[in-house]
Parts: sequence; structure tokens; C-alpha cells
Amino acid sequence: MNRFLPKSLEGKLALAALCLGFLALFGDPYRGETVKLPTRDLAWSSQQADRIGATELADRLLSGRTDTRMLDLRSAAAYAEYHIPGAENAPLAELGTGIGEYPLYRNETVVLYGDDAVATAQAWLLLQARGFRGSVLLDGGLDAWKNQVLFPALPEGTAPQTVARAKAVAERFGGQARLGGAAVGDAAIAMPKVEAPAAVAPAARKPKRKEGC
Amino acid sequence: MTIATDVAPKAATTLGTLGGDRPAERIEGARSRSASASAFSNPYLAGIGLGLVLLAAFVAMGRGLGASGFFSAVVAWGVDRVAPAHAEGNGFYASYLAYGNPLEGWLVFEVLGMMAGGLLSGLLAGRVKAVVEKGPRIGTAGRLTLAFAGGLAMAAGAKLARGCTSGQALTGGALLNAGSWAFMLAVFAGAYGMAWFVRRQWR
Amino acid sequence: MSAPWFKLGLFGDEASLLVAFLIGIGFGFALEHAGFGSARKLTGQFYFTDMTVFKVMFTAIVTAGLGVFFLGWMGLLDLSLIYMAPTFLAPQIVGGLLLGVGFVVGGYCPGTSVVAMATGRIDGLAVVLGLFAGMFAFGEAFPAIEGFYHSTALGPKTLPQVLDLPYGVVLFAVVLIALGGFAGATWVEQRMAARDRAPGEAVEEAS
Repeated sequence: MNRFLPKSLEGKLALAALCLGFLALFGDPYRGETVKLPTRDLAWSSQQADRIGATELADRLLSGRTDTRMLDLRSAAAYAEYHIPGAENAPLAELGTGIGEYPLYRNETVVLYGDDAVATAQAWLLLQARGFRGSVLLDGGLDAWKNQVLFPALPEGTAPQTVARAKAVAERFGGQARLGGAAVGDAAIAMPKVEAPAAVAPAARKPKRKEGC
Repeated sequence: MTIATDVAPKAATTLGTLGGDRPAERIEGARSRSASASAFSNPYLAGIGLGLVLLAAFVAMGRGLGASGFFSAVVAWGVDRVAPAHAEGNGFYASYLAYGNPLEGWLVFEVLGMMAGGLLSGLLAGRVKAVVEKGPRIGTAGRLTLAFAGGLAMAAGAKLARGCTSGQALTGGALLNAGSWAFMLAVFAGAYGMAWFVRRQWR
Repeated sequence: MSAPWFKLGLFGDEASLLVAFLIGIGFGFALEHAGFGSARKLTGQFYFTDMTVFKVMFTAIVTAGLGVFFLGWMGLLDLSLIYMAPTFLAPQIVGGLLLGVGFVVGGYCPGTSVVAMATGRIDGLAVVLGLFAGMFAFGEAFPAIEGFYHSTALGPKTLPQVLDLPYGVVLFAVVLIALGGFAGATWVEQRMAARDRAPGEAVEEAS
């Protein structure tokens, strides 16, 4: 056997390179279709870190932060009718298969929302398993967004500052605060047209630092 | 100040020779070539070392190496100091000024490190000296003029290609970047194509 | 995926500049150690007498390429977070030709010119000055060539994508081409050395 091993240093290096190259034929550096669930990590992850409240999200958007991506998991039709300003449409079916090509980055915060809590949770698990540790759920989904941000119910006795603030936020997103009202009935209230609130101007986006040579 | 010029056929300099043209010097050239070849270490080991540095950049920073960006960053800074309005209005300079002081860029610090590392290696190997590298058939002035001209051409080439041999060929080559491989082939083609015309400079 | 460290927030911008300096030291050291502080060694490549440029460059590409591949496969490095320069086919080819011409005329590439200057080469300094001048000229001429500069934009494209082959297959092909190239380069060097030798001179072991 020794007779076949190269004697010179170059020969040994060449053989090593050849073996590694051959091994590469069977691998995938992008970690392909199947994922391993890091069960220990997921079980330990804090409830608070997994989700974001609707009002907190609204505050984030209004403060001009451009580092939060939002994925709307519903169908294209539902997305066209209304979506949280700045959200991108990523139906769950596509998310499952196309994650490798979908332009998500593992160092981004990604807020997932939809109208089905189970679907949202599935998407969250899928992304977490693929290593997108910055993915979070919108707590309560689109309904919470409607009820807390767009059409917040402000019963009698709410502190005036809270009322003023809720009204201001709602108006920024094209909604309307309901003073003294009950929870929103689904079909009853017309959803506002989708317009980005004035504060979130794309021009405010910080230019990416040059990474080329 | 006298500048030492290193002319090729002198025997056994640590810089090595490429073989002189005149018969009496061919033997000298060949002997000193093999003696000095080992002074530069095995090219494959050197390549592995270089590859590991590149890999370290990928792992630590998520980017590769570079060199030409240093020159353009410094020039952009300079133009901005002298004529800020002109710099802002020019797409090339503006791209370096969009993210704060260009002198605080990653590439600037990396190239400064290259100077330090190169000096260190040279000192350890005894290869630091003030010389003009050239072949036997050209004078110092001619060599320096051609060197400057080469720099001019490379600046244009590197900026068109968004990188040089470090940023595009090495980095892009390792990442199997299609444009970088096309660039690399073009570099070799251009260099081999031009080599015959400047052979007097080297041989 | 625990790397790239900087993009996953393990250290900040100031620290990244220190990292840049340290990596630069390694880079400059490796280049000088390979002999690339010498214009005559570098240009020997283009006269077939000294193929070190090809050997070092492709060994580095194979080393880093295999490293990236296996670290990615093992889940240690997130390849999608590594910056992939977008392809602009025409400017890159024209730029490559220009750079090649400038390389053999000047004697150094931009990276090696810096290393050469650091080790005292006056001609390295001349190339550095030419680079600065050239960058300024390019900047001033930029409005005129801006159209060409932005032309044929294909976005970030890898060879596996373009050839529609698995990554590992392309990488294996690169390894094979490199190994074949090394053998060929050594053969060429020996032939040139034989041609330069006076008749009757004993054959020497090329390294």
C-alpha cells in the first residue's frame, strides 16, 4: 500500500486535495432540503424572545427603524387587500420549499404574521430550524394588529395619554381609534388603504457599507 | 541618495534571478536560481497559508480580501477634502463617502496591515532593501516610468472590474464567483498578451 | 451557524477594523513569504520561467474554496452571509485585460505593490503612485464611462448557478484543473530551465 502513496510533499498535498475535492461531490454547503431541529435550543428559547406585540411592532415601524422585515404568510389575494406597511408576501407553501433562494438573511429580525396562528407557528419553526434565529411571531397575528393598532378599543376610564397615543398611532397607519367601543367584528370595519406611515421613509435607510475590493 | 539597482544576472542574490541572456551568465543564473528558489519557500505551502488567511477573513468577517479599494478610498477622501461638492456629485467618489470617513474603511486597515506583514516577512528573511527590480536591458528611469504606467492601467482595470487579483481573483475565485473567474482569465490573457512587448524590461 | 462572526454580531465595527489590520498582516506576510515582493519573480509567470504566481494563487483558491465548502456543509459557516460581488461581465473582462496589461508592465498587482513598497522596492512605490494617480483619473473620467461601468449586470452569480451543476461538482472540477495546472506549470518551468542552461550543464532538481 505504501508504494502507492506519493513520496514528495507536493504529492501528499495533491492527494489530500483530490480526496477532499472528491468528498465535496457528495456535500451541500448551503445545507439543502432537510433540517435538523435543535430541540434543546428551541425548548429553552424564551417565550418573550419568540414573539413581538402589535403595539411594539407599530412603535418600531414609526420610529423609522428599517431593520425589521415582516413576512405576510397569507395568500397573495389577502396580501393585496391589506398588509402591514412594509411587509413582504411569503405564502407558507413557498417558504417551505424555497428557503435557500428566498432572500432572507440569518442576521435579520423577521416578524411573521398571518391570520392563522398555526400557520404562523409552523413558519416560525421552519425558519428557526433553518438557522434563522432572528425570526419572531407577531403575537396574536393580524387580528391583534387590527385590534390594538388600527382600531384600538379605548373604553371609558383609559388614561388620557394612552388615549392620545393610541389615536395617534392608529391614525398614522390609516386606522381609527374607537372610543368606548368593543372589539372589532371582522367584516364590519373597512380596512385602511395600505400606505406607509409618513415617518418610515425609505430614504432614511442607512447606506450599506462597501464590501467589495 | 544612490539607489541600488538589482540587475538580473548577478550571482546568488536572495532575490533570485530569471536567467540572463548572455551565455556566460546562463550558468550563473541557473545556479543561483535553484539556490534562491528555496529561499522563497514551497509555493504550495505559501498558497495554503494565503488560502487560510482568506478563509479567516470569510469566517471572521463574511468577506474576502482586497487591495484596490484602499487606493480608491484614499483618493475619494482626498478629493472630498479638497472639493467636497465635486466629490458628492461624482458617482464614483460618492460611493466611498456614503458611509462616513473612507479612511475608516475595512480595506484601509487591511492594506496597512499588509504593509506591516510584508515588512515583517521581509525582515525575517533578510529581503528588505531599497532597490529597483528590473532586468539587465533597461535603465532605472525607464523601469520606474513603466511601473507608474502599469499602476495607472491597473487602477482603471481594478475599478472597472470591482476588484483586483486579491479581491476578485482570490476571493471570488474561492467562492466560485462567475464574474471573478471571467476576470481572472482576462487578467492572465492580458498579461501574457502584453508580456512579449515589455520583455526588455525583465529579461 | 456560528460564522461569519461579524455579521452575526459577535463583534462591532471598531473591532472589525482591528480584525482587518490583523488579517492584513497575515495577507502581507503570506505574499512576501511567497516571494511576491519581487517584480521579477512575479513577472516570471508571464515568461514561463517562474510559475509561482499560478501555483500560489490556485493553491490559495483551492484551500479557501474547500474550507468554505466544508465549513458550510458542517453547518459552521453560513455561506449566504458571505459577500458575493455582483457580476458585471463586460466591465470585468475589460478590467481584467487592463489589469493584466498593467501587471506585466508595472511588475506588481495592487496588493503585491504595497508589499513590495513595504520592503523597500522603489519600483513598488512607483506602482503605488501610479495606482493613486490612476484612481483619480478614473474618478474624474467616471461620468463619461458610467454607462459602461454599470452595463451587463448579472447580479451575484456563482459558477454552479451559471453551469447549473451542484456546488461540489464544480469545486471538484476546480481541484482537478488546479492539480493538472500545477503539473503542467512545473513541466513548463523545467523546459524553460533546460532551454536556458548551457549545453553540458548537469540537470538540477527543480523545486
